[in-house]
Amino acid sequence: MDALEICYMSAGDLSKLVQSKEVSPVEIIDAHLARIEETEPVLNSFITLLAEESRAAARQAEKDIQAGRYKGPLHGIPVGLKDLYNTAGVRTTSGSKIFDTFIPAEDCTVAAKFHQAGAILLGKLNMHQFAYGPTGENPDYGHMHNPWNPEMVTGGSSGGSGSAAAAGQCTITTGSDTGGSIRIPAALCGIVGLKPTYGLVSRWGLTALSWSLDHPGPMVRTVEDAAITMNVIAGYDPRDIASAKVDIPDYTTALTGDVRGLRIGMPKEYFEAPLDPQVRKAVLDAVSLLESMGAEVKEVSFPMFNESQAISSTVLMAEASAYHRDLLEKDGHRLYEPVRQRLEAGLFISAADYLRAQQARAMLDAEGRRLLDDVDLLAGPTEPVTAPELLASRVMAGEQEIGVVGALTQYTRPYNINGFPAISVPCGFSESGMPIGLQLAGKPFDELTVLRAAHAYEQATDWHTRRPPL
Amino acid sequence: MASEQPLSREDFDRMAKLMGISGEPAYLDELYSQARGVFISAKSIRDIDVTGAEPDMAFIPKTD
Repeated sequence: MDALEICYMSAGDLSKLVQSKEVSPVEIIDAHLARIEETEPVLNSFITLLAEESRAAARQAEKDIQAGRYKGPLHGIPVGLKDLYNTAGVRTTSGSKIFDTFIPAEDCTVAAKFHQAGAILLGKLNMHQFAYGPTGENPDYGHMHNPWNPEMVTGGSSGGSGSAAAAGQCTITTGSDTGGSIRIPAALCGIVGLKPTYGLVSRWGLTALSWSLDHPGPMVRTVEDAAITMNVIAGYDPRDIASAKVDIPDYTTALTGDVRGLRIGMPKEYFEAPLDPQVRKAVLDAVSLLESMGAEVKEVSFPMFNESQAISSTVLMAEASAYHRDLLEKDGHRLYEPVRQRLEAGLFISAADYLRAQQARAMLDAEGRRLLDDVDLLAGPTEPVTAPELLASRVMAGEQEIGVVGALTQYTRPYNINGFPAISVPCGFSESGMPIGLQLAGKPFDELTVLRAAHAYEQATDWHTRRPPL
Repeated sequence: MASEQPLSREDFDRMAKLMGISGEPAYLDELYSQARGVFISAKSIRDIDVTGAEPDMAFIPKTD
């Protein structure tokens, strides 16, 4: 089989070939390592590449499968983890040279689950330093570059995950999402990113940015792969104090292709915010398609959406500054300056304002739950713009010039505040060839409905089959 | 009660010193701009009517 075809196959398709022994894990890893060698000088997706380790793991997986010890759909499938997921014996930098030699003794829960499922760790992926930024800038390990146009950002903070999945460097990648850091690079790189419900995937062993807003989750090329990955990584973990004790379904059962009777709300406030007309059209076309497939679509109102920037930034900055305070005092001068400034600016937030933001957060949560009594999903753009230029601080959204950080988190942060599941799925391209994402958010722990709608839309379109020009 | 006035440079310098923040003048100028942004955001938070809303932060002792 052609090596490039292997690199662009989904885990769902590859796993069938692995199980039937038509393709071996060794062939899969070799194909991906060749793809990485070819594209990495442009993309810079990896902080640590585990070439020899992954080859050795592939040989072992091949032996196990030949001997009839097939572990399931991720057995022999290459995975890349954002470099804030602790990995036993493999350095975990959190995107900073301060931790350039930090080697965890133990896997984080998610990494351990991937290992148990037989997935092969291909490497640790580049990220915005300490996950504190939505663009994918990193002076310590080099900035990340968008596979669709390397002069543009990948989005962040899980930028290396976005570029690695989009360019066929990894079949499965993971991110962590505090204000949008899974969904932003997913939308800007043209892949699928699922931020699960808060507490559904363990945070144990991940470097925190904001305890109450952090969500680990999958970044992949198809909705089916998001479901397959969730089957492996979701579930209660006593080591994470926020972990939820809920039943875990088989997420692939959601992939029916049927959206008949599904009720979709379009918050009118989304379309009153700064928004590129090309993105608006792509998203409206996507929702119209879902309607033509049998979904019921109606306009809804989400007034607390307009308060989400103030709530999110107050909670996130205060928690990030608290978490990193010792680091700031000891090694502040070694941090990327914009990250250091955000951490130090967070020290100016008063306890009273932090708690008032938490009060407002409870109101946003209540409003979201009321909205989702009347509809099953909320739909809108993931991003108001396509990928901005690398290191730009301002971007045009239609006729309005706005700050990049505020723009990129505009539609994603409400679902970090209330913890509802939200997915970004490709829904088109701009005239300049940059991807556009559709965001679908659902009720807490109702990932099945989110995946069902995203999958049905994906299967009715061909956006996910396009490849970047690399 | 927190002030609703934008952060003055003198107040910023005093608070930064108390918090042990230091740096080159250009760095502090940019940090001052960000700290003002924090105060503006805090003003937005204070403008939200949160009557009756309790922050979801109860400490529940573990049972296991």
